[in-house]
Parts: sequence; structure tokens; C-alpha cells
Amino acid sequence: MAEMFTKVAVIGSGVMGCGIAAQIANAGVRVLLLDILPREGSNRRAVAEGAIAKALKTDPAPFMSAAAARLIEAGNIEDDLARVAECDWIVEVVVERLDIKQTLYRRLEAVRRPGTPISSNTSTIPLSQLTEGLPERFTRDFMITHFFNPPRYMRLMELVTGPHTDATLADKIALFCDVALGKSVVNCKDSPGFIANRLGVFWMTGAVTQTIEHGLTIEEADAVMGRPFGVPKTGVFGLMDLVGLDLMPHVNASMAGALPENDEFHAINRDIPIIGRLIETGYTGRKGKGGFYRLNKTGGKRVKETLDFATGEYRPERRAELPELVAAGRDLRALMSAPGRVGAYAWAVMGHTMAYAAKLIPEATDEIVAIDEAMRLGYNWKHGPFELIDMVGADWLIERLHAEGFAVPPMLQRAAGRSFYRVQNGIRQQLGQDGEYTDIVRPHGILMLEDIKLAAKPVLKNGSASVWDIGDGVLCFEFTSKSNSLDEQIMALLGKTIALVKKEYKALVIYNEGSNFSVGANLGLALFAANIAAWMQVESLIATGQEMMQKLKYAPFPVVSAPSGMALGGGCEFLLHSDAVQAHAETYAGLVECGVGLLPGWGGCKEMLGRWASDPKMPKGPMPAPAKVFEMVSTAKVAKSAAEAREMLVLRPSDRVTMNRYRLLADAKRRALELAADYKAPEPREIVLPGPSGRVALNQAVAGFAKLGMATTHDVVVSGELATVLTGGDTDIIDTVKEGKILDLERESFMRLLRTPGTLARIEHMLETGKPLRN
Amino acid sequence: MQVYKAPLRDMRFVLHELHNSAAHVAEIGQPDVAEELIDSILEEAGKFATDILLPLNASGDEEGCRYENGVVRTPKGFIEAYKKFCEGGWGALASDPAYGGQGLPEIVGKMVEEMQCSANLSFGLYPGLTHGATLALQGHGTDELKQAYLPKMIDGTWSGTMCLTEPQCGTDLGLMRTKAVPQEDGSYRISGAKIFISAGEHDLTENIVHLVLARLPDAPKGIKGVSMFLVPKFLPTEDGRPGARNGVTCTAIEHKMGLKASATTQLYFDEAVGWLVGEPNKGMRAMFTMMNAERLSVGIQGLGVAETAYQSAAFYAKDRIQGRALAGARYPDRAADPIIVHPDVRRSLMTIRAYVEGCRALSGWVATALDLETKAADPVRRQEAEDFVAIMTPVVKALFTDLGFELSSMALQVYGGHGYIRDHGMEQLVRDARICMIYEGANGIQALDLVGRKMPAHMGRFLRGFFHPVQAFIEENAADPKVLPLAKSFAALQQATAHIATVSLKDPEEAGAAATDYLRMFGLVALGYMWARAAKVAAEKLPAANGDAGFYQAKLTTAQFFADRLLPQTSALWSSIKAGKASMMALEDAAF
Repeated sequence: MAEMFTKVAVIGSGVMGCGIAAQIANAGVRVLLLDILPREGSNRRAVAEGAIAKALKTDPAPFMSAAAARLIEAGNIEDDLARVAECDWIVEVVVERLDIKQTLYRRLEAVRRPGTPISSNTSTIPLSQLTEGLPERFTRDFMITHFFNPPRYMRLMELVTGPHTDATLADKIALFCDVALGKSVVNCKDSPGFIANRLGVFWMTGAVTQTIEHGLTIEEADAVMGRPFGVPKTGVFGLMDLVGLDLMPHVNASMAGALPENDEFHAINRDIPIIGRLIETGYTGRKGKGGFYRLNKTGGKRVKETLDFATGEYRPERRAELPELVAAGRDLRALMSAPGRVGAYAWAVMGHTMAYAAKLIPEATDEIVAIDEAMRLGYNWKHGPFELIDMVGADWLIERLHAEGFAVPPMLQRAAGRSFYRVQNGIRQQLGQDGEYTDIVRPHGILMLEDIKLAAKPVLKNGSASVWDIGDGVLCFEFTSKSNSLDEQIMALLGKTIALVKKEYKALVIYNEGSNFSVGANLGLALFAANIAAWMQVESLIATGQEMMQKLKYAPFPVVSAPSGMALGGGCEFLLHSDAVQAHAETYAGLVECGVGLLPGWGGCKEMLGRWASDPKMPKGPMPAPAKVFEMVSTAKVAKSAAEAREMLVLRPSDRVTMNRYRLLADAKRRALELAADYKAPEPREIVLPGPSGRVALNQAVAGFAKLGMATTHDVVVSGELATVLTGGDTDIIDTVKEGKILDLERESFMRLLRTPGTLARIEHMLETGKPLRN
Repeated sequence: MQVYKAPLRDMRFVLHELHNSAAHVAEIGQPDVAEELIDSILEEAGKFATDILLPLNASGDEEGCRYENGVVRTPKGFIEAYKKFCEGGWGALASDPAYGGQGLPEIVGKMVEEMQCSANLSFGLYPGLTHGATLALQGHGTDELKQAYLPKMIDGTWSGTMCLTEPQCGTDLGLMRTKAVPQEDGSYRISGAKIFISAGEHDLTENIVHLVLARLPDAPKGIKGVSMFLVPKFLPTEDGRPGARNGVTCTAIEHKMGLKASATTQLYFDEAVGWLVGEPNKGMRAMFTMMNAERLSVGIQGLGVAETAYQSAAFYAKDRIQGRALAGARYPDRAADPIIVHPDVRRSLMTIRAYVEGCRALSGWVATALDLETKAADPVRRQEAEDFVAIMTPVVKALFTDLGFELSSMALQVYGGHGYIRDHGMEQLVRDARICMIYEGANGIQALDLVGRKMPAHMGRFLRGFFHPVQAFIEENAADPKVLPLAKSFAALQQATAHIATVSLKDPEEAGAAATDYLRMFGLVALGYMWARAAKVAAEKLPAANGDAGFYQAKLTTAQFFADRLLPQTSALWSSIKAGKASMMALEDAAF
């Protein structure tokens, strides 16, 4: 496993430096964040301190918790540089100027502990230049660690080593970035733009110039480039607005300066005067007055507008209506061959991007999988360029490039008559430069359902879930429904799974590889059932869910849930009923039912009450726990990280966090086997609840909010039912309340709420707009 | 012989006792429309139907409309009857007072409509279409157009049409060709051919106002490129009288199975002057205002004809003597017993009666929603009513018109051979009723509208207005064994609804295969609910009923008959639905 660093120095506290520092702190490692002296004022640490303060207010948040921010110590490079000797790794994130960087390196050389790895986050300066003239003891410890913005959320890190770099040291950094920081490390050669930006800039530049060339509107271009190719739906222009238009000329100039004269980039790169004009007038993208898209707020109205390349003016946004996209469906080859400007555009941009990707072998890397991974994680493409080539067919691409007189890169030629990837004996293989296929080997300690599926059949399966044998006596329960929403079928298969594990296995892991663990119960089904007054059906779904959750909790084997992304409502209730949670750091969990006018009905209220009641830090008496849970659940609070989930007691102190998404299943399995060694099911819990007097108190608080206009009419109804459940209904304060009683209360209140028009309107609104209705 | 007297007692029962007209008129802000006022309107309307319209029904059918050189003449007596109709203000009953209407609630208007359809379906079509056209114009026309046309249409001086169908486009209006070219003065020139246009030309009114669907020159292809235009037969002069003849001519009338006194015309528009109604390319939206109203009215046509068929058959069954009762002579002093003693004749009469009264109750419920969707003070109530009308429109249209035909055929059967010959007028009822299943959206299309569009809309929100009250009623009356059959069929309907919603997500053809059976099942449950409620009201009133005990007793008995003999069809329908499309779709096209 990774040797954990105890302290890391980050020099430069700009957006990237501070973001990297934050992510290191998120991993629980101390950071010394240094920057220059402020121009004025007496606080000599003001620059770095200011950056941290700003980061605490940034959305999306660079920090996973407030506690993480406290692990960063601010300083300046005049007073504190010598303290890098305390650090296990030095990350340089200063301005992209060779002279400044080299001066800093020389100063560091004087103060650092020998053998401490130093890395630069440069995106434009080659390693060979950075290290030029520096002593060998420096170049041995030096490498480039190129993070993507924002460092907490972008999972790609490009690692560039030089000819002198100590390989052990590089492995150590790679492992730390992988395990502690959660990054997928892609090794790159010391070539301009490394991988992701080299290809990404080529693609974006082509997309912009070809839009003008083929006379597409911006909406049309984004519609072609977005969804069909598995690119985030912002498309190219939306993406450029996001990163900032002003960056484009700099990046392109730097790329053009660094690339050899015969590089294809020069053929597509050209000066686009309109972009210069936009930048000059403050239209630098979302950070400025707008970019290719803008929100025109003149006259009190908010009108979405788009730049018209033909006139150079903004006009109201027009949805692209392209029959070519409909006709092509998912067939990218058909799209790129469609007659007319749409097909021509798709080909001009993507056809050439695919070819350019092939050319990057061996310039930027020797492995196609590195390029695909870089584009998937660095640009959020659903498929890497070689995966896209496999989709359209390498032969077709070669033929078309030939036909149009373009060069066919050798790596592409190698795929003629076959594909870049294949599955052999249940293992995915990639085509190498020698023309042979080799197994794609994951870094040590990674277990992926995606890989298991290539070689095995599910142990159990229905329309909404599958169960996989992940080895060593552990089964994995995977949700497969749309958005991993929870329904009758999931509950049915869970019942079968529990019986099976009891008989033949040691432990159960609940995990999947969707972008979200689960968004909760299938509200569409529930709403439809409610609309046709099928109350019995809904109530039996609630009852079945409760029964399954109890079975999960009291099963004679350990259950470990391993969430990543959203774990909301019923998804969160799965976590609450598991013996242990192995959470990806980017887990967003919460009981959000009140947002749609309902309340947690699968034991969520019961479990949260139990956790807060037994929390040693809580004041004594029956009221504090219900009050605390009421506050969280009635406001549908969602933890914005695993760390925050801990603060909410959605995760217990014994629950663990995995930083790297790829390592989640392996960690969960390990945890399950640990627990299985000496497993005893938990004892049912009884708690003391305040009863009617407590309910009155909670209702009064809500009435107060309603008076202030902070709670809506239906909020009062919903929180009234929640208060009933959390305070134990008509229970007497001198009695203890059993779990079954709270479950009955949950179910009854849930059913009462589902019959109210206010709740039905909330559910409908959420399903149709994705936003909560404040009725 | 066609027998018809307006079923006033039953109409009063539906309005006042079942649907609580007093509370309803209060909610829609018309508390002055008291029970007595409603009753006197119904009584007068009944007289008009029986005395003026009914006598022209058979003769109008015999004579038919005549076409000569672009002119259409209605059968003898129609002009006079129409004049009396206008004088009586019958066309303006439910229309907006701002344009000379009487503004009465739809719950009253729909009952009067039923009477007119019972007495003379062909006649009823002329003012019926005018009413639909005024609704579309009122909802979407400019103030100028409304001022110029609505008062004359509402008082009946001018009539209206809706021109959709063309030779190549019926159900699929996206294929429409008629075009509209904008002029500098803001008007349009309309050119094209329309067919199947009811009341497109006739001699009842001094002017005819056509609402025509056509395409603008730059219109998108398909249904999203259709706009609505107002095209008068005569262009009004400045003082509002019919002026110059517009470029629309009647080129022929259709020769039809029935409905012969109604002129079904072919119209040719040749650079006719017209004005846009509503927004460009949003013609279907404007037309749907009219079509929803029209579809409910067409449903009521089916109900109206079935009522006359019932009265005529009941009259004959009591009059015609033939054979003896199976359990021994009931009228030994006569040569034979009247055929009403026979169980099978009873079966027919009870079936027709149970359906007709059930449909009347259901149309009353839907009519309350028609009032509420425009007149309720609370916007939530308005929305709920609109949702309810949306889901019930296809059900009422298809169920009532299927029944109109089935039941009039059943009534004809009571007459035996005398029903098949023309003398008794029974075959006319069958022929007239047949068209209602076809026009205003064929019943198969209604079923598709129900399962494909209305059911999934907003995750089933439209269904709520029906399912929630029925479920609540069943829960409230869980102890009443008489409610059991409804509870059973309602549970099956819930299952069928969830089933179709689920399977059609994967395969839209499954929804299509289930559609007609589902609509009938839905309709039967709706009637079952009406009957269960009617029985409850009747049971409550019976002990204190003085002269009315017979009426309430008959209600209870008929309710029982519906629950015993008709509602169980839902089980068979649910079985059919569950069977799915497989055997329906399996044969190759060539095998047919």
C-alpha cells in the first residue's frame, strides 16, 4: 500500500495550487501552502491565507470538510521556504514562467531534505526545459504531476518523468496520488500538452473553426459534438465558456509554438478574430459577461442568448433541430457520413481527432489505453478516441482518410482489419505498437465489476439488479435499474440474495459502477401508483422495503455498502442498514424524501434516531436525538462528501473512506472479509422517545418558520408527519420504543403524505423539472 | 314507431340528487341558476324536442338533403324548426353572455343537447357545430373577429363548421394540403379541397362561418405546420350583414348510410378570404378546444339515440303480443302475452336502460368539470377539472357512441322483422348512430388517445381525477356489500392501468393492442361507479319518497342489474388485455 506522507508542501496558491492543497488535505495529510509576499499590508501570509478563505467559499467546494481546511498551514516563500524540509513531497504550482520556476527550484535545492520528491504542475513547459542546468540530484527527484481543474473532482493526473527521474520515487508519487488523492495516474512522455490537452485542444480548436467553416450555429455544433459522441452535453462551446475564452489564444499559441512544423495542429489552428473581440469586450465565458452563450438580463427578463458567427451579435438561443442526428441514432459512422453540413462537420472534427489520437502513439505515450483514459477522465468523454474508432470501424476510418488524401498514422494502420480493443478469455486486451494484443492490467489492488462481468455470468439477476460472485465467498449486489432507482424487483432480488448468502457465502457487498449509487426509490412508479389510488400496492412496497432493510441489518453475515456519487433517500437507507460502509470520498448521501413531500419510509428515521440517540456527544434526554434528525431530514440535507456524511452520522466512526473510485470495491470486499471473520449480527435497539410533547415542540418550531416565510404550507404538513414519526407517535416518555413501532409510524405517515395533493404535486414537479417544488 | 319523451325525472335525479347542482352552481359563481330554473328549462327543451324536432326525424331521413348547383336544401320543415330553435334561444343556452349567450352551466346545456340528439340527430348537428365553432373562436380569435362573428353565431343567425378532412388526410392531419397565403391587409387567401364537412352548405342560416385548417407558405412539415382560419361564406359588410360571396363553394354532398338530413359537403376553397384564428402553426391547439367539446357532444349523441331506441323498444315490448310467458300465461284474457314477459326481451330492455341511465349520470359528472375548468374560483380546482375532462373525453366519446350503436341495434331486435323495415324508424336509429363511432376521431383513435397520451401524461396525473374519488367511495362504503362488484372491477382496472403503463414503456404496440379493451373497461367501471352512487342516493331517498318510490325502486333494481349482468364484463376485458398483442400481431400482412 501507499506509504502515507505526513506533510506536503504546495508552492503557489492560485486556483490550481490551492485546489491541489485542498485535495491533499482532504486525504487527511497536512499541507504547507506557500505563496509570495503580499504587495501591501502587514500580514506576510495574506496571499495563501486569502486563497484558502476563498476556496472555502468556492462552489463546487475544493474541500470535503471544514476540518480538511484546518490541515493547511499558510506561509510565504520568503519566511517559510526552509520548512519544506518538514515535507515528504514538494509540489510547485507557480506561474507558467520558466525563469521563475527555475529560480524557485534553485532556492528549494538549498533547503529541502535530499531525496524529497519535487514535482511541477506545469501544463505547457517541457520537463527537459524545467530541469535544464539543474544538478542531477535535483533531476533525479523531479517530475511533472499535471492535475486537472478542479483538482478535487477531476480524476486524471498526468505523470511525466525525465530520463534521470528516480523510478522508485515516481512510483511513490503515483501511488500516493492514486490511493490517497484518488487520481487515476496516466504516464505521459515529455511532449507538448502531454496527452489530454494535446488532443483536447486539437479537438476544441477543430470544433470551433469547423463550425464557422461549415456554417453551423453554435447550438447545432454542440448538439452534434455533445451527446452523439458521448461528450458532456455542454459540447465544445459550452465547455469553452466554462474554462474561459481568454485561455484559448494562450493555449493555442503555446501549443503551436511547441509542436513541430509538420504537426496537423497547424492545419486547423487559425486566428479567429471574433474570439479576440469577445475577450476584449469582457466576454470571457462564464466568469465574465458571458461567452458563446450568455444570459441577457436587460429589461428584467432573463433570456438565454447565443453568439451568431455570421453577424457577430447575440440572438435568443435556438434549439438545434437536426434530422441527421435523429436519422443516425447511435450510429456514429452514419452521422459522420450524412450528406450535408452536419455530416461534414462531424467528420471534419471527430474523424480528424480520431486520426490525431492515433498519431499520439508513440509521440505522447506508447499505450492507447492511456489516451482513452486521459480523455475519459480529463475531458469527461464517455468513450476514449480509440473506443470511438472501434465503434465506427478502423477500416472505415482508414479508407475515408485515404480517400480524402490524408495521412493514416501507423498506429491506425495497425488496426486495419481488426479493432483496438478485444476481449480474450474474459480479459480486455489492447493493441500494441508491435501489432500484438496484450492484457490490460489494472494497478495492483483494483477490483472492478466491469472486469468481472467480462468473464462471468451473474449468480442472480432480474430486470433491476444483478448479483456477482467477487471471490473469496463474497457476493456483490448491483443495482441495474434506470438511475439505480429502487423498486419492487430490487427488493425481490435482495430477498433471494440474502437467502443465498446465508446458505453459501460469507458476506455481501452492495455496490455498483453507475455514476450514482442510487437516487432513491423509483418516484415515477410511486407517483403513477398514487395517481391510480393503488394505495395497497404502494404500502406493500414500503412494507417489503422495511422488511428487507431489517433482514439486511440482522442477517447472520456482514453487509458492506460501498457508495459513490449520490446515495439519496432509499439509497441512503441501504447505507444506514449495512454493518459497515466503505464510501468513496465523493459520496453525496442524505435522506431527501421531504423535498418531494414524503419521509424516509424504509427505516431511515429509525436508524438515524438510533445513531443520534447513542452518540456520546449528544446531551441526555429523549428530545435531542429527534430534534437533530428532524433538522436534517425536514430540510432534506445532503452531505456533499463522505466526510460530511460522517458529521451527519450517516457514516459511523467505524465506516471507512476510499479516495480512488477504482479501489472502492476491493476495499469494500476487504472490509467485508474482515467483518466475516468473527461476525455477530447486531442486537435490536430500543430507544426512549419524547412522544406527543416532543411533537408539539417540533411543530411549534416549524410554525415559527412558516410565520417567517421560511417554511411553505406543505412543508408544515410534511414536517408534521415527520415530527410524529421521530417523536415516537403516541408513545409515553417513560417507555422504550421498539424498532417495529417506528417502522409502523414511518409507513403510516408515508401513506398519509402520499395521499395529499401537495405531495403528489411535489413528486410530479421533481420528475418533470428535476427541481423541488416549494408549495 | 319512434317514441320519445324527455326523461325529465332521470335528468333531475342526475343533476340535483346525484351531482348536487345547488352546490355546483354555487361553486361556479352562478347561485341564481336554481333547481326550479333548471327544471323549467329542461321541461321546455323536452317539449321542443318532442313537439318540433321528433316529427321531422323520420321524414327528414326519408327526404334527405338535396344538392343543386352549389346549393343545399334541407328537408321539409327544417327551416321552420330552425327558426323556432333560434327564437327559443336554444342555441345560446351555454354560450358567453358577453356575446349574447345565456351563460347557463354546461350541466344544463348537455342535458338539452341530449334531448335534441334523441329527437333528431341530423337537426342537432347544425347548431351543434355552430356551438363548437364559437368555442374555438372565443378561445383563440382576435377581439375584432369575436365581435364581428360571435353574436350572430350565438343567436343562430349564422352557423359554423369545422373544416379538417381532405381526400388524402383524415386521421393523419399532418398530410394536409390546403394552403393559406398572407395578404398585405392582414387577411389570407385560402385554397384547397375539404371533404366530409358537416353543415358546410345549407339553407338554414343567412351566412356560414367555416373554421378551416390550412398551411402557411413557410409552415413546417406535418401537424406542427397547420394554422386555423376563419372563412365566411359571405364576407360581412361594414354594418355586419352578409356581403360579397367568398370563394368557397359546395361541390357535392355525400350519400351516406344515415344522418341523411344533415348535409355532409365537399367544399372547394378558391382564393377564399380568411383570417387567422390563434397563432400561426398552432391551428391544432385552437382546433382541439373545439374538438374536445365536440367529442363530448358526440358521446352525448350516442346516448341520445340510445334513449329514443329504449323508449321505442319499451313501448313496442309492452304493445306487441306474441306467445306466452315461459312460466305460464301472464295475461290469459288476451290472445297472447306482450313480449315484455320474456326474459330475453327483458335482458335487452334492462341492458339498454342500465347503460343509458349510467351514461347520463357520467355525462353529468363530466359536465360539472366542464363548468369548473372555466368558472371555478380556485385555480387548483380549475386545473383538476381540466385534467378530468382530458381523461374522460376519449372515454365518453368512444364508450357512449359504441353503446349508441349497440343499444339501438338491440332495440331494433326487440321489434324483430318490424325493426328491419323502415316503417317503425328503428333502422334509422341504427344507421344514424353508426356515424358517431367514426367522426370526431374514430373510436380506435380515442382508445389510443387514452392509453398513449392521456394515461402517461404527467406520470398519470389525469387519471387522478377519476381513480381517487372512486377509491375514496369504495373505502367509505367498504361495509356495503352492494359496492363489492365495483370494488372488484375497480381493482382490476387499477391492475390493467399499471400493466399497460408498464408494458407500453417497452413496446408501444402493447398499448395499441390493449387500447380498445381498456377504454371499454374504464368506461364500464366509470358507469359502475355512477350506478353505485346512484343506488346509494336512491336507497337514502326511498324511505321518505312519496310519489317517487317507484322511481327510486327502479334505480335500485337497475343498479343491481348493472352490477350483476354488465359490470362483470370487466373481468373478461382484463383477461384479454393481459393476453397481450402476440396472437393479434402474429400473422404476416400477406396472410390477410
